[in-house]
Amino acid sequence: MAAVADILESVDRLPALPGTVIRLTAMLTDDQADLGEIEEVARHDEALSMAILRFANSALYGRAGREFNLRQSIVRLGGKMLLRIALEQQASNLFESAGEAYGLRRGALWRGAVGGAFAAEEIAKKHAFPDVDLCFLCGLLRDVGKLVMDAHYGADYLPRVSPHIAPGCTVVEGERAAFGADHAQIGAELALRWRLPQRIADAIRYHHEPPAEEPDHDLLFDIVHAGDIICLWAGLAIGHDGLQYKLAPHVRRGLKLGRREAELDITVTWGRLRELEEMMDDSPTQGKST
Amino acid sequence: MPASATTYAKTEIDGKVVVGVADLAVTKDPTATLVTYALGSCIGVTIYDPAAKVAGILHFMLPDSRINAEKAQQSPAMFADTGIPQLFKSAYKLGAKKQRLIVCAAGGAEVLDDDGHFKVGSRNRTMIRKIFWKNNILLAADETGGSISRTLSLKVADGSVIVRNRGKERVIWPQ
Repeated sequence: MAAVADILESVDRLPALPGTVIRLTAMLTDDQADLGEIEEVARHDEALSMAILRFANSALYGRAGREFNLRQSIVRLGGKMLLRIALEQQASNLFESAGEAYGLRRGALWRGAVGGAFAAEEIAKKHAFPDVDLCFLCGLLRDVGKLVMDAHYGADYLPRVSPHIAPGCTVVEGERAAFGADHAQIGAELALRWRLPQRIADAIRYHHEPPAEEPDHDLLFDIVHAGDIICLWAGLAIGHDGLQYKLAPHVRRGLKLGRREAELDITVTWGRLRELEEMMDDSPTQGKST
Repeated sequence: MPASATTYAKTEIDGKVVVGVADLAVTKDPTATLVTYALGSCIGVTIYDPAAKVAGILHFMLPDSRINAEKAQQSPAMFADTGIPQLFKSAYKLGAKKQRLIVCAAGGAEVLDDDGHFKVGSRNRTMIRKIFWKNNILLAADETGGSISRTLSLKVADGSVIVRNRGKERVIWPQ
Protein backbone atom coordinates (compact mmCIF):
# COMPACT_ATOMS: atom_id res chain seq x y z
CA MET A 1 0.00 0.00 0.00
CA ALA A 2 3.06 2.24 -0.21
CA ALA A 3 1.83 3.53 -3.56
CA VAL A 4 -1.45 4.71 -2.01
CA ALA A 5 0.37 6.72 0.65
CA ASP A 6 2.88 8.08 -1.88
CA ILE A 7 0.14 9.32 -4.18
CA LEU A 8 -1.80 10.90 -1.30
CA GLU A 9 1.33 12.54 0.13
CA SER A 10 2.31 13.99 -3.23
CA VAL A 11 -0.94 15.90 -3.71
CA ASP A 12 -0.52 19.45 -2.42
CA ARG A 13 -4.11 19.94 -1.44
CA LEU A 14 -6.20 16.85 -0.79
CA PRO A 15 -9.96 17.09 -1.38
CA ALA A 16 -11.74 18.04 1.83
CA LEU A 17 -15.08 16.73 3.03
CA PRO A 18 -17.10 19.91 3.62
CA GLY A 19 -17.21 20.86 7.29
CA THR A 20 -20.96 21.47 7.12
CA VAL A 21 -21.52 17.83 6.24
CA ILE A 22 -19.29 16.60 9.04
CA ARG A 23 -21.05 18.81 11.59
CA LEU A 24 -24.54 17.94 10.37
CA THR A 25 -23.74 14.21 10.29
CA ALA A 26 -22.58 14.38 13.89
CA MET A 27 -25.65 16.36 14.96
CA LEU A 28 -28.16 14.24 13.20
CA THR A 29 -26.78 11.04 14.67
CA ASP A 30 -26.93 12.65 18.12
CA ASP A 31 -30.40 12.44 19.62
CA GLN A 32 -29.66 15.48 21.75
CA ALA A 33 -29.14 17.88 18.81
CA ASP A 34 -31.82 20.53 18.63
CA LEU A 35 -33.16 22.36 15.63
CA GLY A 36 -31.58 25.62 16.75
CA GLU A 37 -28.10 24.12 16.46
CA ILE A 38 -28.88 22.65 13.05
CA GLU A 39 -30.28 25.98 11.91
CA GLU A 40 -27.11 27.70 13.12
CA VAL A 41 -24.90 25.40 11.02
CA ALA A 42 -27.10 25.83 7.95
CA ARG A 43 -27.25 29.61 8.41
CA HIS A 44 -23.47 29.83 8.10
CA ASP A 45 -23.57 28.09 4.76
CA GLU A 46 -25.42 30.31 2.34
CA ALA A 47 -25.63 27.77 -0.47
CA LEU A 48 -27.01 25.14 1.90
CA SER A 49 -29.57 27.59 3.34
CA MET A 50 -30.74 28.36 -0.18
CA ALA A 51 -31.04 24.67 -1.01
CA ILE A 52 -33.05 23.98 2.16
CA LEU A 53 -35.43 26.84 1.42
CA ARG A 54 -35.81 25.76 -2.19
CA PHE A 55 -36.64 22.17 -1.28
CA ALA A 56 -39.02 23.03 1.56
CA ASN A 57 -40.90 25.51 -0.61
CA SER A 58 -41.01 23.29 -3.69
CA ALA A 59 -44.01 21.50 -5.14
CA LEU A 60 -42.34 18.24 -4.14
CA TYR A 61 -43.16 19.08 -0.53
CA GLY A 62 -46.70 20.15 -1.30
CA ARG A 63 -46.16 23.89 -1.19
CA ALA A 64 -49.51 25.42 -0.33
CA GLY A 65 -49.15 29.08 -1.17
CA ARG A 66 -47.06 30.10 1.85
CA GLU A 67 -43.35 30.72 2.23
CA PHE A 68 -41.38 28.86 4.88
CA ASN A 69 -38.40 30.50 6.56
CA LEU A 70 -35.21 28.59 7.33
CA ARG A 71 -36.30 27.29 10.75
CA GLN A 72 -39.72 26.25 9.42
CA SER A 73 -38.07 24.64 6.41
CA ILE A 74 -35.76 22.58 8.64
CA VAL A 75 -38.75 21.36 10.68
CA ARG A 76 -40.72 20.65 7.52
CA LEU A 77 -37.96 18.63 5.88
CA GLY A 78 -36.83 16.68 8.93
CA GLY A 79 -33.36 15.58 9.97
CA LYS A 80 -32.66 12.85 7.46
CA MET A 81 -33.85 14.88 4.50
CA LEU A 82 -31.76 17.77 5.72
CA LEU A 83 -28.64 15.64 5.78
CA ARG A 84 -29.52 14.34 2.32
CA ILE A 85 -29.85 17.86 0.94
CA ALA A 86 -26.58 18.86 2.58
CA LEU A 87 -24.79 15.87 1.06
CA GLU A 88 -26.22 16.40 -2.42
CA GLN A 89 -25.52 20.10 -2.35
CA GLN A 90 -22.06 19.87 -0.83
CA ALA A 91 -21.08 17.02 -3.13
CA SER A 92 -21.46 19.40 -6.04
CA ASN A 93 -18.54 21.38 -4.59
CA LEU A 94 -16.48 18.31 -3.72
CA PHE A 95 -16.93 16.68 -7.12
CA GLU A 96 -16.83 19.88 -9.13
CA SER A 97 -13.70 19.01 -11.10
CA ALA A 98 -11.86 15.69 -11.68
CA GLY A 99 -12.19 16.22 -15.37
CA GLU A 100 -8.80 15.91 -16.93
CA ALA A 101 -7.56 12.48 -15.86
CA TYR A 102 -10.81 10.67 -16.58
CA GLY A 103 -12.00 12.78 -19.50
CA LEU A 104 -15.01 14.04 -17.59
CA ARG A 105 -16.70 17.34 -18.26
CA ARG A 106 -17.29 19.73 -15.40
CA GLY A 107 -20.02 18.39 -13.13
CA ALA A 108 -19.97 14.88 -14.56
CA LEU A 109 -18.39 13.33 -11.49
CA TRP A 110 -21.05 14.98 -9.33
CA ARG A 111 -23.76 13.43 -11.49
CA GLY A 112 -22.07 10.07 -11.17
CA ALA A 113 -21.72 10.46 -7.39
CA VAL A 114 -25.36 11.38 -6.83
CA GLY A 115 -26.56 8.83 -9.39
CA GLY A 116 -24.61 6.08 -7.61
CA ALA A 117 -26.04 7.23 -4.29
CA PHE A 118 -29.61 7.08 -5.62
CA ALA A 119 -29.03 3.66 -7.21
CA ALA A 120 -27.51 2.24 -4.01
CA GLU A 121 -30.41 3.63 -2.02
CA GLU A 122 -33.00 2.05 -4.33
CA ILE A 123 -31.29 -1.33 -4.15
CA ALA A 124 -30.94 -1.08 -0.36
CA LYS A 125 -34.67 -0.37 0.03
CA LYS A 126 -35.58 -3.40 -2.07
CA HIS A 127 -33.39 -5.64 0.05
CA ALA A 128 -34.58 -4.14 3.33
CA PHE A 129 -30.98 -3.21 4.16
CA PRO A 130 -31.07 -1.81 7.71
CA ASP A 131 -29.20 1.41 6.92
CA VAL A 132 -30.36 2.89 3.63
CA ASP A 133 -28.70 6.23 4.39
CA LEU A 134 -25.33 4.52 4.79
CA CYS A 135 -25.73 3.04 1.30
CA PHE A 136 -26.56 6.51 -0.01
CA LEU A 137 -23.48 8.03 1.63
CA CYS A 138 -21.12 5.28 0.42
CA GLY A 139 -22.58 5.47 -3.09
CA LEU A 140 -22.01 9.20 -3.06
CA LEU A 141 -18.39 9.00 -1.93
CA ARG A 142 -17.30 5.88 -3.80
CA ASP A 143 -15.27 7.71 -6.46
CA VAL A 144 -13.48 10.29 -4.27
CA GLY A 145 -10.22 8.56 -5.21
CA LYS A 146 -10.67 9.90 -8.74
CA LEU A 147 -10.24 13.42 -7.34
CA VAL A 148 -6.82 12.45 -5.99
CA MET A 149 -5.83 10.67 -9.22
CA ASP A 150 -6.87 13.77 -11.14
CA ALA A 151 -4.91 16.11 -8.85
CA HIS A 152 -1.82 13.87 -8.99
CA TYR A 153 -1.68 12.73 -12.62
CA GLY A 154 -3.97 15.12 -14.56
CA ALA A 155 -3.34 14.83 -18.29
CA ASP A 156 -0.61 12.21 -17.70
CA TYR A 157 -3.17 9.71 -16.41
CA LEU A 158 -4.48 8.49 -19.76
CA PRO A 159 -1.15 7.90 -21.58
CA ARG A 160 0.20 6.11 -18.51
CA VAL A 161 -2.78 3.86 -17.84
CA SER A 162 -3.78 3.06 -21.45
CA PRO A 163 -0.93 0.60 -22.19
CA HIS A 164 -2.00 -1.43 -19.15
CA ILE A 165 -5.62 -1.86 -20.17
CA ALA A 166 -5.60 -5.00 -22.28
CA PRO A 167 -8.85 -6.37 -23.76
CA GLY A 168 -10.97 -7.78 -20.95
CA CYS A 169 -8.93 -5.92 -18.35
CA THR A 170 -10.71 -3.50 -16.01
CA VAL A 171 -9.63 0.08 -15.45
CA VAL A 172 -8.83 -0.64 -11.77
CA GLU A 173 -6.51 -3.48 -12.84
CA GLY A 174 -4.90 -1.08 -15.32
CA GLU A 175 -4.47 1.58 -12.63
CA ARG A 176 -2.79 -0.91 -10.28
CA ALA A 177 -0.41 -1.98 -13.06
CA ALA A 178 0.38 1.61 -14.04
CA PHE A 179 0.51 3.34 -10.65
CA GLY A 180 0.70 0.58 -8.03
CA ALA A 181 -2.70 1.62 -6.69
CA ASP A 182 -6.21 2.17 -8.00
CA HIS A 183 -8.66 5.01 -7.36
CA ALA A 184 -10.79 2.85 -5.05
CA GLN A 185 -7.85 2.10 -2.72
CA ILE A 186 -6.85 5.76 -2.74
CA GLY A 187 -10.42 6.87 -2.04
CA ALA A 188 -10.61 4.48 0.93
CA GLU A 189 -7.41 5.90 2.40
CA LEU A 190 -8.68 9.44 1.89
CA ALA A 191 -11.91 8.53 3.72
CA LEU A 192 -9.84 7.28 6.66
CA ARG A 193 -7.92 10.55 6.69
CA TRP A 194 -11.28 12.31 6.86
CA ARG A 195 -11.86 10.12 9.94
CA LEU A 196 -14.86 8.41 8.39
CA PRO A 197 -15.66 4.97 9.84
CA GLN A 198 -13.68 1.97 8.56
CA ARG A 199 -16.81 0.40 7.04
CA ILE A 200 -17.40 3.45 4.82
CA ALA A 201 -13.76 3.43 3.76
CA ASP A 202 -14.08 -0.27 2.91
CA ALA A 203 -17.24 0.34 0.88
CA ILE A 204 -15.20 2.82 -1.17
CA ARG A 205 -12.24 0.40 -1.40
CA TYR A 206 -14.42 -2.46 -2.66
CA HIS A 207 -16.87 -0.60 -4.88
CA HIS A 208 -15.44 -2.25 -8.00
CA GLU A 209 -14.35 -5.57 -6.49
CA PRO A 210 -16.55 -6.49 -3.51
CA PRO A 211 -15.34 -9.59 -1.63
CA ALA A 212 -17.49 -12.66 -2.29
CA GLU A 213 -16.35 -14.74 0.67
CA GLU A 214 -16.75 -14.44 4.42
CA PRO A 215 -15.46 -12.89 6.60
CA ASP A 216 -14.90 -9.94 4.25
CA HIS A 217 -18.24 -10.13 2.47
CA ASP A 218 -20.63 -7.30 3.37
CA LEU A 219 -24.01 -6.63 1.78
CA LEU A 220 -23.21 -2.90 1.95
CA PHE A 221 -20.27 -3.37 -0.44
CA ASP A 222 -22.44 -5.42 -2.81
CA ILE A 223 -25.11 -2.72 -2.89
CA VAL A 224 -22.62 0.10 -3.53
CA HIS A 225 -20.98 -1.98 -6.27
CA ALA A 226 -24.33 -2.70 -7.96
CA GLY A 227 -25.23 1.00 -7.68
CA ASP A 228 -21.99 1.85 -9.47
CA ILE A 229 -22.83 -0.45 -12.39
CA ILE A 230 -26.42 0.85 -12.58
CA CYS A 231 -24.93 4.31 -12.78
CA LEU A 232 -22.75 3.29 -15.74
CA TRP A 233 -25.76 1.85 -17.53
CA ALA A 234 -27.59 5.12 -16.89
CA GLY A 235 -24.79 6.86 -18.79
CA LEU A 236 -23.51 8.80 -15.77
CA ALA A 237 -19.87 9.78 -15.19
CA ILE A 238 -18.57 7.78 -18.13
CA GLY A 239 -15.19 9.11 -19.16
CA HIS A 240 -12.07 7.67 -20.76
CA ASP A 241 -12.62 4.56 -18.63
CA GLY A 242 -15.78 3.74 -20.56
CA LEU A 243 -17.52 0.59 -19.36
CA GLN A 244 -14.31 -1.25 -18.54
CA TYR A 245 -15.61 -2.51 -15.22
CA LYS A 246 -17.09 -5.84 -14.16
CA LEU A 247 -20.28 -6.66 -12.32
CA ALA A 248 -19.30 -9.23 -9.68
CA PRO A 249 -21.27 -12.45 -10.33
CA HIS A 250 -21.93 -13.02 -6.61
CA VAL A 251 -23.52 -9.57 -6.41
CA ARG A 252 -25.83 -10.29 -9.34
CA ARG A 253 -26.86 -13.58 -7.75
CA GLY A 254 -27.02 -12.31 -4.17
CA LEU A 255 -29.08 -9.23 -5.02
CA LYS A 256 -31.16 -11.24 -7.51
CA LEU A 257 -30.44 -8.51 -10.01
CA GLY A 258 -32.27 -9.46 -13.20
CA ARG A 259 -32.49 -7.54 -16.44
CA ARG A 260 -35.91 -6.10 -15.68
CA GLU A 261 -34.94 -4.98 -12.16
CA ALA A 262 -31.71 -3.45 -13.43
CA GLU A 263 -33.43 -1.52 -16.21
CA LEU A 264 -36.08 -0.26 -13.83
CA ASP A 265 -33.35 0.87 -11.42
CA ILE A 266 -31.62 2.66 -14.31
CA THR A 267 -34.78 4.63 -15.14
CA VAL A 268 -35.51 5.45 -11.49
CA THR A 269 -31.93 6.57 -10.84
CA TRP A 270 -31.91 8.78 -13.90
CA GLY A 271 -35.35 10.21 -13.05
CA ARG A 272 -34.33 11.10 -9.49
CA LEU A 273 -31.18 12.77 -10.73
CA ARG A 274 -33.15 14.83 -13.24
CA GLU A 275 -35.58 15.89 -10.48
CA LEU A 276 -32.68 16.93 -8.29
CA GLU A 277 -31.07 18.90 -11.11
CA GLU A 278 -34.32 20.71 -11.77
CA MET A 279 -34.58 21.48 -8.07
CA MET A 280 -31.00 22.71 -7.89
CA ASP A 281 -31.38 24.93 -10.90
CA ASP A 282 -27.77 26.00 -10.55
CA SER A 283 -26.57 22.41 -10.83
CA PRO A 284 -23.50 21.60 -12.91
CA THR A 285 -23.96 20.97 -16.62
CA GLN A 286 -24.41 17.33 -17.40
CA GLY A 287 -22.28 15.33 -19.76
CA LYS A 288 -18.59 14.64 -20.17
CA SER A 289 -16.04 14.42 -22.91
CA THR A 290 -13.95 11.59 -24.19
CA MET B 1 -31.77 26.35 -32.20
CA PRO B 2 -33.07 23.04 -30.87
CA ALA B 3 -36.60 22.45 -32.09
CA SER B 4 -38.05 19.86 -29.80
CA ALA B 5 -40.67 20.35 -27.16
CA THR B 6 -38.92 18.03 -24.72
CA THR B 7 -35.27 18.80 -25.20
CA TYR B 8 -33.04 19.85 -22.30
CA ALA B 9 -30.17 20.53 -24.69
CA LYS B 10 -27.95 23.46 -23.79
CA THR B 11 -26.15 25.67 -26.28
CA GLU B 12 -22.60 26.29 -25.15
CA ILE B 13 -20.44 29.36 -25.80
CA ASP B 14 -18.73 27.70 -28.77
CA GLY B 15 -22.07 27.08 -30.50
CA LYS B 16 -22.25 23.39 -29.64
CA VAL B 17 -25.71 22.15 -28.77
CA VAL B 18 -25.09 19.63 -25.99
CA VAL B 19 -27.62 16.82 -25.79
CA GLY B 20 -27.63 14.90 -22.51
CA VAL B 21 -28.65 11.37 -21.62
CA ALA B 22 -32.28 10.59 -22.52
CA ASP B 23 -32.58 13.71 -24.62
CA LEU B 24 -32.72 14.82 -28.22
CA ALA B 25 -32.35 17.97 -30.27
CA VAL B 26 -33.22 18.90 -33.83
CA THR B 27 -32.08 22.04 -35.60
CA LYS B 28 -31.87 23.91 -38.90
CA ASP B 29 -29.17 26.29 -37.69
CA PRO B 30 -26.32 25.85 -40.20
CA THR B 31 -23.73 27.12 -37.72
CA ALA B 32 -24.62 24.61 -35.03
CA THR B 33 -22.89 21.40 -34.05
CA LEU B 34 -24.98 18.86 -32.17
CA VAL B 35 -22.99 16.84 -29.69
CA THR B 36 -23.70 14.15 -27.14
CA TYR B 37 -21.02 13.06 -24.71
CA ALA B 38 -20.04 9.80 -23.09
CA LEU B 39 -22.11 7.19 -24.82
CA GLY B 40 -21.53 3.96 -22.94
CA SER B 41 -24.24 1.33 -23.32
CA CYS B 42 -26.51 4.17 -24.46
CA ILE B 43 -26.76 4.80 -28.20
CA GLY B 44 -26.57 8.09 -30.03
CA VAL B 45 -28.51 8.33 -33.30
CA THR B 46 -27.89 11.16 -35.77
CA ILE B 47 -30.14 12.10 -38.68
CA TYR B 48 -29.37 14.61 -41.41
CA ASP B 49 -31.28 15.83 -44.43
CA PRO B 50 -28.69 17.41 -46.77
CA ALA B 51 -31.33 19.18 -48.89
CA ALA B 52 -33.35 20.75 -46.08
CA LYS B 53 -30.23 21.11 -43.89
CA VAL B 54 -32.10 19.65 -40.94
CA ALA B 55 -30.08 17.75 -38.37
CA GLY B 56 -30.99 15.85 -35.23
CA ILE B 57 -29.40 13.78 -32.52
CA LEU B 58 -30.84 11.43 -29.90
CA HIS B 59 -29.11 9.93 -26.86
CA PHE B 60 -31.27 7.05 -25.62
CA MET B 61 -30.53 4.79 -22.68
CA LEU B 62 -32.63 1.63 -22.95
CA PRO B 63 -34.30 -0.32 -25.74
CA ASP B 64 -37.88 -0.81 -24.62
CA SER B 65 -40.22 1.73 -23.00
CA ARG B 66 -42.47 -0.98 -21.56
CA ILE B 67 -40.03 -1.25 -18.64
CA ASN B 68 -41.29 2.08 -17.27
CA ALA B 69 -44.28 3.55 -19.07
CA GLU B 70 -44.44 6.56 -16.77
CA LYS B 71 -40.84 7.54 -17.50
CA ALA B 72 -41.44 6.95 -21.22
CA GLN B 73 -44.32 9.41 -21.06
CA GLN B 74 -42.18 12.02 -19.29
CA SER B 75 -38.96 11.41 -21.24
CA PRO B 76 -39.59 9.59 -24.52
CA ALA B 77 -35.94 10.07 -25.48
CA MET B 78 -34.95 7.66 -22.71
CA PHE B 79 -35.96 4.65 -24.85
CA ALA B 80 -35.23 3.57 -28.41
CA ASP B 81 -38.83 2.68 -29.25
CA THR B 82 -40.17 6.09 -28.16
CA GLY B 83 -37.11 8.28 -28.76
CA ILE B 84 -36.39 7.31 -32.38
CA PRO B 85 -39.92 8.10 -33.61
CA GLN B 86 -39.80 11.40 -31.76
CA LEU B 87 -36.44 12.28 -33.31
CA PHE B 88 -37.74 11.62 -36.81
CA LYS B 89 -41.05 13.43 -36.25
CA SER B 90 -39.21 16.47 -34.86
CA ALA B 91 -37.03 16.56 -38.00
CA TYR B 92 -40.04 16.21 -40.31
CA LYS B 93 -41.58 19.27 -38.63
CA LEU B 94 -38.54 21.26 -39.74
CA GLY B 95 -38.89 20.08 -43.34
CA ALA B 96 -36.80 16.91 -43.41
CA LYS B 97 -37.91 14.07 -45.69
CA LYS B 98 -37.47 10.46 -44.70
CA GLN B 99 -36.07 9.35 -48.07
CA ARG B 100 -33.27 11.92 -47.85
CA LEU B 101 -32.20 11.24 -44.28
CA ILE B 102 -28.69 10.02 -43.53
CA VAL B 103 -28.80 8.03 -40.30
CA CYS B 104 -25.78 7.08 -38.17
CA ALA B 105 -25.38 5.44 -34.77
CA ALA B 106 -22.68 5.13 -32.11
CA GLY B 107 -22.46 3.68 -28.59
CA GLY B 108 -24.03 0.43 -27.41
CA ALA B 109 -20.98 -0.70 -25.40
CA GLU B 110 -21.04 -3.36 -22.66
CA VAL B 111 -19.54 -3.68 -19.21
CA LEU B 112 -16.93 -6.46 -19.08
CA ASP B 113 -17.92 -10.03 -18.27
CA ASP B 114 -21.58 -9.35 -18.63
CA ASP B 115 -22.36 -13.04 -18.94
CA GLY B 116 -25.50 -12.58 -20.98
CA HIS B 117 -27.80 -11.48 -18.18
CA PHE B 118 -28.08 -7.81 -19.01
CA LYS B 119 -26.50 -6.97 -22.36
CA VAL B 120 -27.87 -3.44 -22.21
CA GLY B 121 -25.66 -2.23 -25.07
CA SER B 122 -26.35 -5.26 -27.22
CA ARG B 123 -30.10 -5.00 -26.70
CA ASN B 124 -29.94 -1.32 -27.62
CA ARG B 125 -28.11 -2.24 -30.82
CA THR B 126 -30.66 -4.93 -31.65
CA MET B 127 -33.54 -2.55 -31.06
CA ILE B 128 -32.30 0.17 -33.42
CA ARG B 129 -31.68 -2.37 -36.16
CA LYS B 130 -35.16 -3.75 -35.67
CA ILE B 131 -36.77 -0.30 -35.77
CA PHE B 132 -34.79 0.80 -38.82
CA TRP B 133 -35.35 -2.49 -40.66
CA LYS B 134 -39.11 -2.24 -40.10
CA ASN B 135 -39.06 1.30 -41.46
CA ASN B 136 -36.79 0.68 -44.45
CA ILE B 137 -34.01 2.84 -43.09
CA LEU B 138 -30.37 1.92 -43.63
CA LEU B 139 -27.63 3.00 -41.25
CA ALA B 140 -25.06 5.00 -43.19
CA ALA B 141 -22.51 4.46 -40.41
CA ASP B 142 -22.59 2.22 -37.37
CA GLU B 143 -19.94 2.66 -34.69
CA THR B 144 -21.32 0.50 -31.89
CA GLY B 145 -20.15 -2.20 -29.47
CA GLY B 146 -17.01 -2.80 -27.41
CA SER B 147 -16.50 -1.42 -23.89
CA ILE B 148 -15.40 2.11 -24.72
CA SER B 149 -17.16 5.43 -24.30
CA ARG B 150 -17.80 7.59 -27.32
CA THR B 151 -18.68 11.21 -27.97
CA LEU B 152 -20.82 11.73 -31.04
CA SER B 153 -21.17 15.00 -32.93
CA LEU B 154 -22.93 16.20 -36.06
CA LYS B 155 -22.09 19.39 -37.94
CA VAL B 156 -25.20 20.91 -39.49
CA ALA B 157 -23.23 22.78 -42.15
CA ASP B 158 -22.10 19.64 -43.97
CA GLY B 159 -23.71 16.74 -42.10
CA SER B 160 -20.39 15.25 -41.07
CA VAL B 161 -20.59 12.84 -38.16
CA ILE B 162 -17.61 12.49 -35.84
CA VAL B 163 -16.93 9.94 -33.12
CA ARG B 164 -14.38 10.79 -30.45
CA ASN B 165 -12.84 8.33 -27.99
CA ARG B 166 -9.94 8.96 -25.61
CA GLY B 167 -9.02 12.15 -27.43
CA LYS B 168 -8.99 10.60 -30.91
CA GLU B 169 -11.50 11.68 -33.54
CA ARG B 170 -12.82 9.75 -36.49
CA VAL B 171 -15.24 10.92 -39.18
CA ILE B 172 -17.76 8.11 -39.64
CA TRP B 173 -19.84 9.99 -42.24
CA PRO B 174 -19.09 10.76 -45.01
CA GLN B 175 -16.81 7.73 -45.18
